[in-house]
Amino acid sequence: MIKRLKRGIVSTMNRVLKHPVWSNHVLQWLAVLVSCVFFVAFIATPLNTVYQTLFGLATFLLAFGISKISRQRLPALILIVISSAVSLRYFYWRLTETLGFETLLDAAFGYGLVAAEIYALVTLFLGYFQSAWPLRRKPAFMPKDTSTWPTVDVFIPTYNEDLSVVRQTALAAKLLDWPSDKLNIYVLDDGRREELRAFCERAGVGYLTRPDNKHAKAGNINSALAKTNGEFIAIFDCDHIPTRSFLQITVGWFLKDPKLAMLQTPHVFFSPDPLEQNLDVFNRVPNEGQLFYGLTQDSNDLWNATFFCGSCAVLRREHLLMVGGIATESVTEDALTALKMNDIGLNTAYLAIPLAAGLATETLSRHIGQRIRWARGMAQIMRNHNPLLAKGLSISQRICYLSASLHFFYGLPRLVFLTAPLAYLFFGAQLFQASPVAIMAYALPHVLHAQLTNLQIQGKFRHSFWNEVYESILAWYLMWPTLATLITPEKARFNVTAKGGTKNVSYFDWALAKPYIVLLLLNITGMIVGVWLLFTSSGDQAVIFTVLFNMAWTLHNIVICGASVAVAGEQKQLRASPRVEFEIPATLALPTGHRIACHTSDFSAEGLGLVMQQPVPLEIDEMVQVSLFRGDEEEIFPARVKFNRGNRIGVKFHNLSTEQRVRLAQLTFGRADLWIQKWAKTKPDSPLVAISQIGRFSLRGIGLLFTETGKVIGRRLRKSETQETVQS
Amino acid sequence: MKNVLSIVSAKGGVGKSTIAANIAAGLCELGHPVLAIDLDPQNALRFHFSFDSGRTPGLVAADEHNFAQLFEPTNLGVELLSYGNSSEQQRMDFEDLLKRNPNWLKEQLTKLQLPDDAVVVLDTPPGPSVYMSQALLTSSLSLVVVLPDAGSYVSLPQMMSLLEKYCLHRQDFIDYGIIVNQSDQSKTLSKDVLSMLRSSFGERIVGRIHLDQSISESLACGQTALKYAPYSEGSYDLMACAKWVHQRCHGVGGRP
Repeated sequence: MIKRLKRGIVSTMNRVLKHPVWSNHVLQWLAVLVSCVFFVAFIATPLNTVYQTLFGLATFLLAFGISKISRQRLPALILIVISSAVSLRYFYWRLTETLGFETLLDAAFGYGLVAAEIYALVTLFLGYFQSAWPLRRKPAFMPKDTSTWPTVDVFIPTYNEDLSVVRQTALAAKLLDWPSDKLNIYVLDDGRREELRAFCERAGVGYLTRPDNKHAKAGNINSALAKTNGEFIAIFDCDHIPTRSFLQITVGWFLKDPKLAMLQTPHVFFSPDPLEQNLDVFNRVPNEGQLFYGLTQDSNDLWNATFFCGSCAVLRREHLLMVGGIATESVTEDALTALKMNDIGLNTAYLAIPLAAGLATETLSRHIGQRIRWARGMAQIMRNHNPLLAKGLSISQRICYLSASLHFFYGLPRLVFLTAPLAYLFFGAQLFQASPVAIMAYALPHVLHAQLTNLQIQGKFRHSFWNEVYESILAWYLMWPTLATLITPEKARFNVTAKGGTKNVSYFDWALAKPYIVLLLLNITGMIVGVWLLFTSSGDQAVIFTVLFNMAWTLHNIVICGASVAVAGEQKQLRASPRVEFEIPATLALPTGHRIACHTSDFSAEGLGLVMQQPVPLEIDEMVQVSLFRGDEEEIFPARVKFNRGNRIGVKFHNLSTEQRVRLAQLTFGRADLWIQKWAKTKPDSPLVAISQIGRFSLRGIGLLFTETGKVIGRRLRKSETQETVQS
Repeated sequence: MKNVLSIVSAKGGVGKSTIAANIAAGLCELGHPVLAIDLDPQNALRFHFSFDSGRTPGLVAADEHNFAQLFEPTNLGVELLSYGNSSEQQRMDFEDLLKRNPNWLKEQLTKLQLPDDAVVVLDTPPGPSVYMSQALLTSSLSLVVVLPDAGSYVSLPQMMSLLEKYCLHRQDFIDYGIIVNQSDQSKTLSKDVLSMLRSSFGERIVGRIHLDQSISESLACGQTALKYAPYSEGSYDLMACAKWVHQRCHGVGGRP
């Protein structure tokens, strides 16, 4: 019944939209005009609190109903319009009715909050515009005749990363499906390591160095540009392992579009980032990057404003040289390079097919360090290459770049939201000159519609409320760098994100958690003050409502801060080289000559997990041979048994030759189908589940804070006891 | 008689009987009624089913009247007709019979009036012989077994010309394929011959059976590998061959 209704609505909408009437220009303008009048009336018509409440409820129900029709792009567009109107209505009311501050204290806090809200509103609208219509570009096919294919240089810049990481990427790059006389691989080593040079020689890949490390990665690539001559350049960070189909799938668009300068593919990580690791949500909750690569970039593509992300991308040499190589004026050289390309009228494109995967940063401090670099870089662009002032950009390109660079300024506004109710609870400041009920009647629709609309457009890529968690964790650390960079852009320095290695033990990162512990304690204090205020209110209804309103807000802040603290509880990683869960047909050959068919449960560069049909009596450290298959291809790898329980066996490879490592890469990380099966496969969320999930993390964070504090106090006590015994 | 599969090879010792017995067992598992007939005077097919099978007089004692009675059941569900223990004279008489009537076997099988989905698996002696010509003339499917060694590679053309003579022109012939037995990717020669075979015969290579100790052991235990070590790679490989036959019997694939 409901299904039929939905189908009916969709087909009616389609029929209305496709009606020939719409091709009439006069009618088009008339429709726009009528819509505008309604829009203005919607925003500015004053209503009393009761009617506003009813109006808000009705609008929300309408939007909710539309959101249930389908997850297509059209309902999302309608939701965007409704949400924008509701938010503008709130702001119209907010700016006209709630700012009559009576004291300086009220005004200081009140205008601060309004400013933060305006920032949030602007980024919300920019975000809506930017992600309204994901392009969903399909790959373009290469011509049959491979002799017409262009030459490609693959650059793998590295500085100090672990050799095993670089090795895997270089080997995988060598296996790219491309005519071998038209493909050159270069490892660009700013570390100038002899061991790496020797490996490259053995593996038959190019090895380039330069005398200095000026301009870090950008400088490294530019120096290699001068020494090579392929028509196209594919760039992989040394820990992004490409699958064999990468070039065949990406280069096609360059042949189709002669003005295409850069094509970006998603960055996929096969290891959990610190947030996923510490909260244990890997593969369950979409990570921070998923929104950007799943939705933002795909939508940027519509506006011809895809950003270059430094890795897993192809660039046309001719066009790269036209903008003077990779930009060196920003610490996010990649985004600026794309901006320069767009600025001179070249195209950039995005293909949402995962064709390479890499390691995520594994500690929170490095994760934050990386985000700080991005934030500073985007702030530099904002300051020195302001997209609003750039000459050659189209309006929509300006908006996309503006949205991207403004995005990183969320630090300060986020902290304002996390502390705003305390202004009332601690100091009695009246941030709104309105009754709490009126505030709820206007503000709640604004917040709820934004949540609903974002759920509709982002559902698969970002779960409800997780945005707040992700932003809050970084807010404190991004605030200073972004603001400082705005004032003195040149001081922003480049720091390489180190990857590889192990977190051998679980520990609590006190230093990083400190700002959130402070915020958490402040908000908890706020709650206590709130309770006290309730008791001393002597039944004044207005006061009670205001206190309750601020306490509810504080509770929300406690949940978010608690979750941020939970992230600082670093969980140890078990294996040095991260595993990828993937089933590959395999055979276990025993020393006795028996061969047992099985499949892998996971693989890494160093070993395999095998699933047997029945237990196999094998001792730990016994030598076996493992065959891996891809179609008819079979390759045998010597290995030692490291684990054997039930029908699960874990093996570690034993003395693989370079040739065998190449073959291993081909059968594991290089598989073309690998990431497509795994990427963006988290399910769209239900907001209630997300709330309870985040609530639990918050409790965990608060619990963690107590136990860790207990441990520290315990240690101190023991220390002073021993000191006392020594003294006595 | 629709589905008759002959297992043939130009050279001896390539594992035909093992493959015949296991494919027969595999087809049973896939739901076919299966008859297995040993056309090899070595009379060894029976050992793959159990040590005490082969109690009937066998094929060598067959005539127009008793053919149907000579089959014996095996514990796997395959109806087995072994060659039988024969005196030299018996064998020569039987071969004379086959020489006089190249379609003798076909006629006997037709008389059995087997159901449509039944499969007859014929095991043959190596190289050209009166048995092989009977088998090839009777069969609608044929599998040529080779080892990944030089000898097998050079003997393949002879096998191909026999297929051409007896099978390929016949309307009722469905398809043939090559099975590479005892393949071992850790040996360079084995690997190279396999890739040579692949480049010369391409899609014709329909099966590859790894050198697997479990297969040799299964014979020593008087069992098929499928029963003795169902999870061994050898069993998987053999089952894949049985599935190839199964698909051809159901009209999937076949000669273009």
